[in-house]
Amino acid sequence: MKTSSISIVFLLSGLLSYESVAQKKYTLSGTMKDSQTGEALIGATVYITSMRKGTTTNNYGFYSLTLPMQDSIAVVFSYLGYQPQIKKIYFNNNLELDIELVLNEDVLDEVVIEAQRSDENVQRAQMGVIDIPVTRISELPVILGETDILKVVQLLPGVQSGNEGTTGFFVRGGNTDQNLVQLDEATVYNPNHLFGLFSTFNSRALNNVTLIKGGFPAQYGGRLSSILDVTMKEGNNREVRGSGGIGLITSHLSLEGPLRKEKASFIVSGRRTYIDLLARPFTAKGNRSNYHFYDINAKLNWQAGANDKLYLSYFTGRDNAEYKETVGIFYKILFGNSTATLRWNHLFGQKLFLNTSVIYNQYDQNIETVQNNSFSQVFSGINNISAKTEFQYLPNLHHSIRFGAHYTNHEFLSKGKTEAQSSGNQSLNIGSIPSKYFDELAFYVNDEINISENVSTSLGIRAPAFISNKVEYFRIEPRATLKVSVTPTSSIKGSYTLMNQFLHLVPSSTASVPTNVWVPSSLRTKPQLSEQFALGYFNNFDQNKYEASIEFYYKTMDNQVLFPAGNQLVENFDVDTALVYGKGWSKGVEFFLRKNTGRLTGWISYTLSKTDQQFADLNFGQKFPFQYDRRHSVSLVGTYSLNKRWTLSSVFVYSSGNAFTLPVGRINVANGGSLFEGNYFIYEGKNNARLPSYHRLDFSATYKKRRKIFGKEYDSEWIFSFYNLYSRSNPYFVYLYVDHNENKPKAKQVSLLPIIPSVSYNFKF
Amino acid sequence: MCMKYLAWTILFLLAISCQKDIEIKPDTAYEEQLFIEGILYPGKVPRIYVSRALPFFQPEVAPQEVFARGAVVILTNRGVALTLQADSVFDPFRCRWIPFYQGGAVAQQGETYDLNISYRGKSYAASTTINQAKVNISSVEYTEEFFDVYGGHDGVVIQLQDKAGEENYYRFQMNRMIDNDRLHAHTLGDVRSDCTNGNMFPITDLGRTVFSDENIDGQLLIMAIEVSFEYKEGDSTWIFMQSLDKRTAQFYKSVDSQLESIFNPFVEPVFIDSQIDGAIGVFGSAVLSDSVLFIYPQDNP
Repeated sequence: MKTSSISIVFLLSGLLSYESVAQKKYTLSGTMKDSQTGEALIGATVYITSMRKGTTTNNYGFYSLTLPMQDSIAVVFSYLGYQPQIKKIYFNNNLELDIELVLNEDVLDEVVIEAQRSDENVQRAQMGVIDIPVTRISELPVILGETDILKVVQLLPGVQSGNEGTTGFFVRGGNTDQNLVQLDEATVYNPNHLFGLFSTFNSRALNNVTLIKGGFPAQYGGRLSSILDVTMKEGNNREVRGSGGIGLITSHLSLEGPLRKEKASFIVSGRRTYIDLLARPFTAKGNRSNYHFYDINAKLNWQAGANDKLYLSYFTGRDNAEYKETVGIFYKILFGNSTATLRWNHLFGQKLFLNTSVIYNQYDQNIETVQNNSFSQVFSGINNISAKTEFQYLPNLHHSIRFGAHYTNHEFLSKGKTEAQSSGNQSLNIGSIPSKYFDELAFYVNDEINISENVSTSLGIRAPAFISNKVEYFRIEPRATLKVSVTPTSSIKGSYTLMNQFLHLVPSSTASVPTNVWVPSSLRTKPQLSEQFALGYFNNFDQNKYEASIEFYYKTMDNQVLFPAGNQLVENFDVDTALVYGKGWSKGVEFFLRKNTGRLTGWISYTLSKTDQQFADLNFGQKFPFQYDRRHSVSLVGTYSLNKRWTLSSVFVYSSGNAFTLPVGRINVANGGSLFEGNYFIYEGKNNARLPSYHRLDFSATYKKRRKIFGKEYDSEWIFSFYNLYSRSNPYFVYLYVDHNENKPKAKQVSLLPIIPSVSYNFKF
Repeated sequence: MCMKYLAWTILFLLAISCQKDIEIKPDTAYEEQLFIEGILYPGKVPRIYVSRALPFFQPEVAPQEVFARGAVVILTNRGVALTLQADSVFDPFRCRWIPFYQGGAVAQQGETYDLNISYRGKSYAASTTINQAKVNISSVEYTEEFFDVYGGHDGVVIQLQDKAGEENYYRFQMNRMIDNDRLHAHTLGDVRSDCTNGNMFPITDLGRTVFSDENIDGQLLIMAIEVSFEYKEGDSTWIFMQSLDKRTAQFYKSVDSQLESIFNPFVEPVFIDSQIDGAIGVFGSAVLSDSVLFIYPQDNP
């Protein structure tokens, strides 16, 4: 008996030992950086060819892979535009391996937008995600020589710009407020400089931009339609570098360098327009015109220890536009964002990564305008203090788990006023606008699971809450995506997401100047809610030379807000009391075909979509098209590398016209002599008509050359560009007037931007 | 010099926007609707304005060109149906005839009237009961300036005591004589010609704002009202306050709201709240208060 027990113990021990040896796993982790600058490479790929498994770096360049013990493995470290490295390592222990990749300048310039691994679009479980390596954006045609993140984003399927002259972008039928735009985790409420000509992001200060338009993982929330996650550069921690540029309208300057070599670095980047200074001598007497914007990005980072890193980011940008004719139209538009983020990264061993941030955010928007002897002013002010903490846990190859919490304390001010113009001071008393305070809180957990070689999923849950002194809202948001590989180069993906949004931007449907105003949720204004279903087929061919995808989506949106018919904002009343509520539906299909390599690269994107809304208090309770419902959207983007010096780029965009409300008939009321006697309009429905379609062709040529000044070499480039090459008069808005010669009403279209040539000179040292 | 020229060109392009007339073709042709405006006044012969709505971009025409000629307009009261006859009055200030359908006995307080109109194969029906109470004007005063959503105006301030316990809607009315020196302070349509020969003619000025006693039931209402026509010191006018039925009030409220949205580009478009199925318009009633003589104390500013 005793012998049997001992034998069993030895057998069990042996089995356990055998079990331990067979199951033994080790972790390979580290960071991936640019060898010249020390910048973290975000979304770079770490791939084990023998196991056909891998991972990507996070927003801080960190990666972690836990694998069964092997005698040796070949690991491929790669990132777009860099020379890949293959490391053969003996994998019989935990290993920390920091990699620095060398920029590959011998390879002809490749397409701007591409996934980090050449088949990432097929293999990853996430759908609706596009990463944009910012360094490549400069090759695309841009307006007035400025590279622009948002202009590139608007060329992607499912994403639309508004009319020329409107700010923001629209994703899968959602309004502009339904996009969460973050810069180093701080929310940017208005990512455009005036008229949408430029975004508030100076691309020279950016490292990475990621757009998510569906299948949102649980760490993202607060908006219904998209997440635009923008990460600033850290600054070259090896040597001091600078760049700058002079253009016809704007100039920019950036400086970066080490504070302590390979330990601490900084980057400062700024730009300003000087159109106001140039315009002054040419403005007619009695007229007053002033427009300028500026933005400044700054960041410090410090490697405090082997496992700790601190970052301090700062951004400020302001627009100041004023235009006054001696009689007639007047507008004054002032708005600005300022953000500051303090972040701490910490590594708990090789599998657990922590990021904690404290963020301050300030936004204000003040728009005053006079048109048709009517005065209007809207003011929005938002101050936030936020704290975020997120853990990323990578236990093994099958799971990548994120969990964390976000907290934000909001101070909100919003007010509006519309009345007939008078001679006195009609401006709002901004100092007397009462503040509203409320908190947002969210907890979440998300796991990306590799179920098998062909099946992976991302499952998450987010629990957001809105807490004010008058009302509280608690919500649960499930998130799920599933990927099934059909062949090694193709996959089918599906996703379901539920999102809530506690802030609302109420749009004006009529005014040419964007008199939109932000309001928070309240007892009366319920949080916006959306459910989105998406299904897609992704296929690469010719060894990932071509990527293709087709995605279908269907989205519902509840608790949408609009102003009611006849609404006039009154200073003494809350904006909240003037709103009406309804629903929205959006469905569409997105085609995307991209060529990634060769002299000619680029993509074609086509979106067919339909978005409707329904409000009990509008349009007789009947459904009507969303104002920015555009049936067809096409983008053709091409970049051709003529040689090492010259690069040609072209963009063609086409969109069906936006919807607007047009009367269909006229009646003459009260033929007796009265102030209300006259012609009145008969409407058949809201947004019953369409503006003419929008299309435009841009072209640019970039000439690069290495030059010398004072014996020092630097990189130079001349950019010659044409925006709207064939000068199409694209519609900005349409208004009605009476032609007294023909004695009948007519429609007049206002267009904003004709052909705009531009020359700019950039330098980099 | 070249840079200055280039900069000026670009600035010029940016600083001005391009405008052009465009033709907007609706997806479907507008099917003309009938516009019916019929307000019954106790003590007055019923008059119903019936016209065709025009497609929006068609040129302006005189009222007689859109008059629904050949319509059969029948007013029924206590089972007695009467077909109204086409008639018109001449507007000397615009040198045009204003046609309408009129006839029958004068409208009576407390009575119910059914309107039936047949025109081009379609029928329209509406009904109204005149049961609003007559209101008493407490006072009328002149004001040189007051402000409303349309801006600053001169006009009159009316005070009246609202009757408690019922929904009441009020509209201003001023009867007076004017000549072509005293035309609209704000013309809504072009005055293309004038047949007054400098003589005075009677007009009825209706206020554009409809006042309701919502949240102020039974209280003293003080209403500042913009008058339509210019005036000289000593001009005599007779002021009434109309008590409107709810449908009439809703219709003219929506008309007033739409007027604001036409003038003010920041106001969302307003759909007129038609009270007659299948048509645009209203069939209702207005009970006039006793008149108050008001003499302008000064010329208009």
